[in-house]
Amino acid sequence: MKTKTVSLRKMQFGLGLVLAILIIVGLLSYRTVAASQESAQWVRHTHEVLENLEDVLAAIQGVETSYRTFVLMGDEQFLESYRSSVLRASEEEKTVRVLTADNPNQGRRLANLAGLMEQKIQFGDALIRLRQTESEEAAVEQIRGGQGIRLMEEIRAVIRNMEDEEHQLLSQRDAEAERRSRQTKAVLIMGSALGLLIASGAGWTIQRGLASRARVEEAFRGSEDRFRTLVESARDYAIFMLDPVGRVVSWNAGAERYKGYKAEEIIGQNFSRFYSPEDIERAKPEEELRIAAATGRVEDEGWRVRKDGSRFWASVIIAALRDPSGKLLGFTEISRDISEHLHSEARYRGLLEAAPDAMVVVNQGGEIVLLNARAESQFGYRRDELVGQKVKNIIPEGFAERLIADGTRTAADALAQQIGTGIELQGRRKDGSDFPIEIMLSPLESPQGILVTAAIRDITLRKQNVEILAQSVSELKRSNDELQQFAYVASHDLQEPLRMVASYTQLLSKRYRGRLDADADVFIAYAVDGANRMQGLIQDLLTYSRAGTKQGALLEISSENALDEALTNLTSTIEESGAIVTHDSLPAITTDNTQMVQVFQNLVGNAIKYHGAEVPRVHVSAQKNGGKEWVFSVQDNGLGIDPQHFDRIFVIFQRLHGREEFAGTGIGLAICKKILERQGGRIWVESQPGKGSTFHFTQSERGGK
Amino acid sequence: MMELIEDAQPVEILLVEDSPGDVRLTREAFKDAKVHINLHVATDGAEAMAFLRREGKYASVPRPDLILLDLNLPKKDGRAILTEIKEDPKLKCIPIVILTTSSSEEDILRSYQLHANCYITKPVDLDGFLKVVKSIDNFWLSVVDLPSKTPR
Repeated sequence: MKTKTVSLRKMQFGLGLVLAILIIVGLLSYRTVAASQESAQWVRHTHEVLENLEDVLAAIQGVETSYRTFVLMGDEQFLESYRSSVLRASEEEKTVRVLTADNPNQGRRLANLAGLMEQKIQFGDALIRLRQTESEEAAVEQIRGGQGIRLMEEIRAVIRNMEDEEHQLLSQRDAEAERRSRQTKAVLIMGSALGLLIASGAGWTIQRGLASRARVEEAFRGSEDRFRTLVESARDYAIFMLDPVGRVVSWNAGAERYKGYKAEEIIGQNFSRFYSPEDIERAKPEEELRIAAATGRVEDEGWRVRKDGSRFWASVIIAALRDPSGKLLGFTEISRDISEHLHSEARYRGLLEAAPDAMVVVNQGGEIVLLNARAESQFGYRRDELVGQKVKNIIPEGFAERLIADGTRTAADALAQQIGTGIELQGRRKDGSDFPIEIMLSPLESPQGILVTAAIRDITLRKQNVEILAQSVSELKRSNDELQQFAYVASHDLQEPLRMVASYTQLLSKRYRGRLDADADVFIAYAVDGANRMQGLIQDLLTYSRAGTKQGALLEISSENALDEALTNLTSTIEESGAIVTHDSLPAITTDNTQMVQVFQNLVGNAIKYHGAEVPRVHVSAQKNGGKEWVFSVQDNGLGIDPQHFDRIFVIFQRLHGREEFAGTGIGLAICKKILERQGGRIWVESQPGKGSTFHFTQSERGGK
Repeated sequence: MMELIEDAQPVEILLVEDSPGDVRLTREAFKDAKVHINLHVATDGAEAMAFLRREGKYASVPRPDLILLDLNLPKKDGRAILTEIKEDPKLKCIPIVILTTSSSEEDILRSYQLHANCYITKPVDLDGFLKVVKSIDNFWLSVVDLPSKTPR
């Protein structure tokens, strides 16, 4: 910038100098030319004077000749010649007077000449008169007197003087002219040389400047070319330029691709043809140019039309181009087919619509930008009534809005971790009624900035269901407690009178057997038996009602030890039946030891009790069931069970055999089932009549504790 | 209500029991006892406490050597009586045998926590019951030295 200014100054100075020199040279030349013109005029003047002087001399000689001839001839016709010569001489003398008016020396001589000419003419006049009045001889005598010749000599002398003077002047003026001419030549040569020098200096400088400028321009042209190539080859963006009224002046590959026109087809055409007929009718193209011209640029998204009439959704930026003085040169338009964005948006919309919840997309300003049909029905608004509205209109708690604002602000973090995991709030319908909602927020990056998608679930039903469920659970619990209480109280309170019945019937039978009649003994025996059985039932009912309710601490125990304990309790049964009870190595499990013993005891006890003809063999094993569950199996070689009774055998007091065959109330398996189910386990049986039975039950491994 | 069995140097037992059937059974069971037993019966808690504190008509009753206490009683139940006796410095030395139909672990634990000296579930059958009473007779009246046997 600075060097540019300096070189410009230098150049300006050089040019000024050249100009000054040229002016000086011109002035000098002009002066010289004027002077030489003047001297030439003077030379011409001198020549004129000289010619006229010769003419004067000739006229005087003519006067002399004509008067002499007249004298000698006496012919009147020579008088005529004489008079014309006199006239001519006087005229010539007058001309010389005019010509030499500027020269006092010549003037004086001219006056002298005029006098002499006067005398000569007087002499001539006298001669003529003499000839005419007297004789030829007198006149010749007069001539011979020599006055005429003398005068003539004097005249000649004066003219010679004057001519000499003029010649002298002429030589002077020639010298002067010569000098000036030389001077002019010198000045011209020097000035021209100097001018040439400076001009060539300037020329060199300019040349150099031009050369570097040419290089710059070359380079610029190169980068411009590259830039143009870049623009022209850009295929993803239509980039073209418009003149101030909107005619296309440039066209790139992207424009051709998007709009379908070739450069030669479209250049010179108005760009409004890219708009839809509706937009053209609304004068949108003009409007956009107007805005671009006024504000510098305009951005738009909308339908644009291809050459073939098809439409695409475009994102368009039009920017005004101005020269440094601010004059509008035209516009650049960069546009892009964002139909795909639209598709993805359409997909997104589709997704929103398909969502089972009300979906509301909110921008940073807390305004609703998008919603689905579910949201319309849930809040009772039409879509157009909600779009652009503040979300707090439908979710009154400022909390939700703040949350959304936070969500959009910290979207970067939020994108990594979901913002909300279900926040319970109140939603407000158009009719003003509130309803419980749950909101899930998730941020969404979009061309319009960060948006938050709020999934809003109406949880009225769920809340009702939860309440109903809680109510049912508490009712169920109450009824269960009551039942438990009932079973306990009933069995306990029933036991008192029953004990009386049993005790006194027994006392009766003890003290009075054989002392009453035979019938009495039988009746008493039945009463005692009934009372005993009832006592057994009540006892079992009590046991059953308590089973699993008083769960001790769950500890990690060895199930093998539990089995051993059960077998110890069953010692007499085993010994009496001669049963062979075997088991695999059994795992450690976390459970209530007492209950585990009870379960083993009941199952092994049953296995021995319901034996067939063979010696009862019972085998206990355990297997890991895929996950964290152990499946225990108690296998026997006993009677087996018909599959149709599989369910029945686990029901309290259900028996498959008569009391005569096997004692018992039918409580053992019911208790096992109750205990195991309370622990989250299961019990089932595999069996065929006559082929033994295998009872399986599960116990979870439950690590830790 | 009160029945006294006259005998020389009898052992005084207070049976707190509301069921006449049980009272009779108990009485029947003690018939075969080795020692002479004076079985006093209180049918509810208030009566039992009045007897123990010799209040009103019980001013001249003997101090029992042993108390057989049922838990389920009208008015003041066995647990309350147990608490009251064991908190009374004059009475807390009297051994108390809980004799009840309840076999609930909660009742058993609770009773011992209230310093019952022993807890017996009434056997449901007569033979069992007789056996239990015989055991009480054996243990508490023959084996054990009771405070009441020492001079007052």
